[in-house]
Formats: sequence, structure tokens, C-alpha cells
Amino acid sequence: MKTGIFICHCGHNIKHTVDVKKLSEYFKTFPNVTVSQDYVFVCSEPGQDMIKDAIEKEGLDRVIIASCTPSLHGPMFKDVLRKSNLNPFLLRRVSIREHCAWVGNDVEANTEKAKRLILAGLYSSAHHVPLEEKIVDVKKSALVVGGGVSGLSAAIFLSKMGMQVHLVEKKSELGGHVRTLKGVWPAGRDGKSIVEDMVRELEGRENVEIFTSTTITNFEGFFGNYEVTLNTPQGEKKLTVGGAVLAIGFSPFDPSIKPELHYGKDERIITTLEFENNSNTLQLPEKPRVAILHCVGSRDEQIGKVYCSRVCCVNALRVGNALKDNYKDSYVESFYMDVRAHPKGGEEFFEDTQEKGVLFTRANVGEIVPTPTGVIIRGEDTLFGETFEREFDLVVLSIGMSSPEDCKLIANTFKIALDKDNFFMEAHIKLRPFDTAVKGIFIAGTCSGPKDVEESINHGRASAVKLFGLLNLGYTYVDPFISYVDPKRCSGCRMCEHACFSNAIKYDEEKRVVHVEEAACMGCGLCNATCPSSAISLRGYIDPMIDDEISGFTEAI
Amino acid sequence: MAEDEKDKNPEIVGFCCSYCTFKASEMAGSLRMKYPEGIKVIEVPCSSRVDPAFIIKAIVEGADGVFVSGCHPGDCHFIKGNFYTRRKIAALKEMFDAFSMKDKLRLFWVSASEARRFIDKVTTFYNDIKEKNNEREKA
Repeated sequence: MKTGIFICHCGHNIKHTVDVKKLSEYFKTFPNVTVSQDYVFVCSEPGQDMIKDAIEKEGLDRVIIASCTPSLHGPMFKDVLRKSNLNPFLLRRVSIREHCAWVGNDVEANTEKAKRLILAGLYSSAHHVPLEEKIVDVKKSALVVGGGVSGLSAAIFLSKMGMQVHLVEKKSELGGHVRTLKGVWPAGRDGKSIVEDMVRELEGRENVEIFTSTTITNFEGFFGNYEVTLNTPQGEKKLTVGGAVLAIGFSPFDPSIKPELHYGKDERIITTLEFENNSNTLQLPEKPRVAILHCVGSRDEQIGKVYCSRVCCVNALRVGNALKDNYKDSYVESFYMDVRAHPKGGEEFFEDTQEKGVLFTRANVGEIVPTPTGVIIRGEDTLFGETFEREFDLVVLSIGMSSPEDCKLIANTFKIALDKDNFFMEAHIKLRPFDTAVKGIFIAGTCSGPKDVEESINHGRASAVKLFGLLNLGYTYVDPFISYVDPKRCSGCRMCEHACFSNAIKYDEEKRVVHVEEAACMGCGLCNATCPSSAISLRGYIDPMIDDEISGFTEAI
Repeated sequence: MAEDEKDKNPEIVGFCCSYCTFKASEMAGSLRMKYPEGIKVIEVPCSSRVDPAFIIKAIVEGADGVFVSGCHPGDCHFIKGNFYTRRKIAALKEMFDAFSMKDKLRLFWVSASEARRFIDKVTTFYNDIKEKNNEREKA
């Protein structure tokens, strides 16, 4: 056996807490190890070429790459092996970044741990066998969940690229929250006209099917051929799709969760959304006194929402601007923590608003008390360190974004993860911000965290392109990690048959042994752990592999 | 490894389901959360893949503790694999109890998003084992 070990520095990520040179020297002494090298970035093109060269020159038959976690760059390294005419299942990935370099600070201890991890990988890789990959056709159709701006833009892009699109919306009308906005900042265009343009574009396309007032009741299967069950007004409908873009949006924060704000108990306390929709019918005196509260439902540890909602500062500035435009002699005071006017032109907008005469007071507002004459705000001015009490005619709460109300239901249906704030979690916050942990399922828009309209549209487009990239290949590799039976060892006790929950194990009455129906096997390995005579094994996770991996951790060096 | 040195820093082997806990451990790494070096994890497709023989082998070969971690009950990718794990580990724990080493085995549920919970669970386990080892040394 000729094993090649490639240890990645990952720039400084691994190198600064693991002595990679020492590791590569150490593994050179092993009899089965032909090549042991460390390199700055094994995932870079020269790094990949290094592996290819070593496989060709030395005739390696096992490759161990000690680098980042296996789920990252997995398909890429498998491709490297394929190109060198080596079965991709002879590759062993050892995670010495996420499971070693990043979780400890002590160089010596980390090097020792990395040595153990690689050793376990080395022992285990001896039991790797070439496996035949299954190639499965991918259906060139996509499910888009949610008909807000991000869902619409994803659907438009996917249909333009020739994919069959099924757009599902829970409500009776497409457009989401943007439809209710009067003027979308910065251009001030009506939200309704933005979404209606998009809907018109979508409805004119042949390869788009729109389901409104529809919910998803079931989603199962694997990438390329997911089975979806929809509950439409016309009854149940089943679809097969290659992948999905989830764009279920957000829920506006409900300020009545905070009783001290008295929201909902007095009509003089309203949210920014209500101000936007009812600005014409508001009954205000000639010289109104208006207070605007920033960060309602954002950056608030008491209610467990520590994140910044990103859009509410600009919303608050827009309210201040509108008031100053409509009521010249109004007194408008904004109570803020920080003004975070994120988008392009936001800072200038902030300055304009200040010049128009909106007062900005850095404050912690303690409570809002409605009285017959006005609404009293009590709080602390955090710049002067003084408490204050002021009376206003109207209080506008600049509310943030909360996770969508269906987040748990959708996450369960699609088997994806939620982050601590109940938004959908990205596969990697920087490198894979549109992907989820499930292949072929992408997230778009505010369901993965607060975003403004422009960002949501771009997020939708990006997810559409990512999904297109996967579907357009037309095929996908399926890991052949399924169980197989050694009929010579099988005693016919049928324990595995009772354990298997996908009914993949069938008993042969004549031969008195069991066999596995490959198409039904899901690859959990329960049968392998159940079999008393070790006759049934899960490919890719056979007993000696795990046994020797344990030995790598525990044996004395 | 010398015996006295080993008592100070326990060696722990963990079996992590690739759909949840292994993902959580990846995330814990990406978030630069710290946990002791003695904890090493093995990826398994499902917690039900863990054969009690693996756990016994790890303990016999000198691991101070073994944990098995899977998805929360009801969240299993394979529908009910973790229920089998729960029963299997309960039976194994009873057997371990006969050898007064019940504390060496622990089962917990950590979902893919719960990196913080993963860290909490493994460090508590680590500290408990360390404490037990120190007590034993004193006795």
C-alpha cells in the first residue's frame, strides 16, 4: 500500500497552532507512507497539481488530506482523484482545522492531537476500497418557496436560464412585504409597482407555474429528484423538482412583546410600517411633536434579539424626513443607540435628515406612557447620563425584523438548520452564504437574516444562479454508502430485518440469509451495528475502519 | 503515555452523527470556540451506526470516556435511528454499571446549529471525567 499524506497550512489558520513541519516529518517514517508533504494551500491549483503529480509519479493508492473539515472542498478533492484515475473513495479527509487548530491554543497539544487525528485517518484508510459511484439524472426544475421580491427574482432568473419553475406562495397574492411599502428607499418607487413588474415578467413566461394560497405539506427524496407535496386550493398536488430556493421572508417584530412600550393600547403609538401605510389619515396638530424610537426589536438582549435588523435605521430616517416635509414646524426627535444607515447613500441621507431639523438624542428609552394630553417618554440620555421625560403627540416605533413565523415548520420540512435567532442557517457564513447543509436547497432573502430590498433581490438572484449551476449539469453523483451482506457469515437471525426502517433488508426463505435492496437502503448503518455475526456491513463505514480509527486515537505512541 | 500524565488530561472519544453533531462540531471550530485537546470525534453516518463494540473497544484500549451524540429525538435523518441508539446506550450503560464505569459513557443530542451546546456538553463531560480520575487517584 502506498499512502500519500498532504498536510495543509491553510495560510496561517492551521500553521499557527499546529507544527505542520513536524507532522509531515513524523509521518515520513511510516512504512506504508510514500509521500508526506505539507503545503500552504492544498486546495489551491498548485496544491491540487502536487497531489496529481504525486499520484502519477509514486503510484499512490491512498490519499490522505489533512486540512479543513471534510464537507468543505470534498467534491473538489474527489475530482482531483478522478482526474488522476484513482477511485475517489480512496481519499481520506482529516479535519485538523475545525477540529484541532481552531479549537485549541496550545501548539504542542494541538500538534499531538493533529498527529492522532492523522494517524487514525491513516489506519482507517487502509480499509478504504474503491467504490462505484452511482450517477443519477437531475430533474431540471426548481421549487421556489415564497413570492416576495427575493423569491420572485430567483424564479425569474431560473426561468430565464431555462429551468422549469414552480413558485409557491402561502398568501393569495404575490409580492410579500414589499407590496405594502409606499416608497422603496432610495429611489422612492412604489413597492407595489416593483413587485407587479416582476410578477408580470414571471407570468408571461411559459416555464413558470405559480401556486398561490398554497402550502407545502411534504418534501422528501434526494438532490436531483425531490418529491414535493403541495396543498393547493384545488387539492393536493405532487411535483418532482431538482432543487429548491427558500425565500419565505421575515415577520415584522411585534412590539406588544415589550409591555413597557404600550403598543397596541393607544393609537398614538404606531410602528414605521403603520406610519407608512396610514400617513395620510394620521390626525396630527399643526405643530406636531413626534418621537421616533430606533432599535425596537433589535439589539435587545432582554427579548433575546441581539442582532441588528439593518433596515430600520433608514426606515426611521424616512419617517423623520416625511414628517419634516409635511409639517414644517414639527418637532421630531429620534431616540437612537447608533445610527446604522447601511446601504449606499445611507450616511448622506442621515446627514440630510439632521439638516432638515430632526433631533437625534442618544438614549435608552425606559417606558412610554400614554396620557390624555400626550404620550410621555421616559428614558436616559446616554451622552449626558441624565434621565428625561418628554411629552409627544405621536410615537413611531422603528421595528426590526424577526424570523419568519413558519421558520420551524419549513426548516423541519426541508431538514435544514436554524441559527440562534431562528433564521435559516447558511452552510458557511462567508464561503457559502446561499447554501444550506442540504444539497440543492438554497436560501434567499430575509429568511436567512435581515436584508433590505436591494440585498434581497440580489440574494434571490445569487441563489438562483447557484441552483442553476447544480441542476444544469444534468446528473449528480450519489454516495454509494449502502449496506451489503456477506452470505457466508449470515446466520439468518433476521435481527437486521426488524431493525431496518426503510425495509431494505429482505429475507430469502430458500437460502436462509438476508440481502439488501440497494435502491431502498438509506445508509444509516443500523443493521451493521445490530448484526451479531458481523455479516452485514455499511460501505464506507465498515467495522474495521472505525475500529482502526479508534486505535489511532488510543494506542500508545 | 505515562500513567500519571494521563490522569491529568483525560482522553475522550466521541461518535458524532454526520447530520447533526459533526456539523455542530464543525461550526464550533469555525466560530473558534475552545474545548480541550483530549476530545476527539469520529464521524458516523447516524448515531445508530455506533456498535457497542466500538465503545467497549475504546474504553478497553484506554479512553477515559466515550460519548455518542446524535440528533434530537424525532429529528433523525433516518427517521428513528436515534431511538435505537437511545435504547442501545441505555442497555450498555446498565452493563457498564456492573463494572462501576457508568460515568465513562454518555449520550446526548446536539443539532447541527447548536455549536454552543456541543461545547457545553463535551466540556462538562471532560471535566466530570477529570474530577472522577482525580478522586480515584487520591483514593
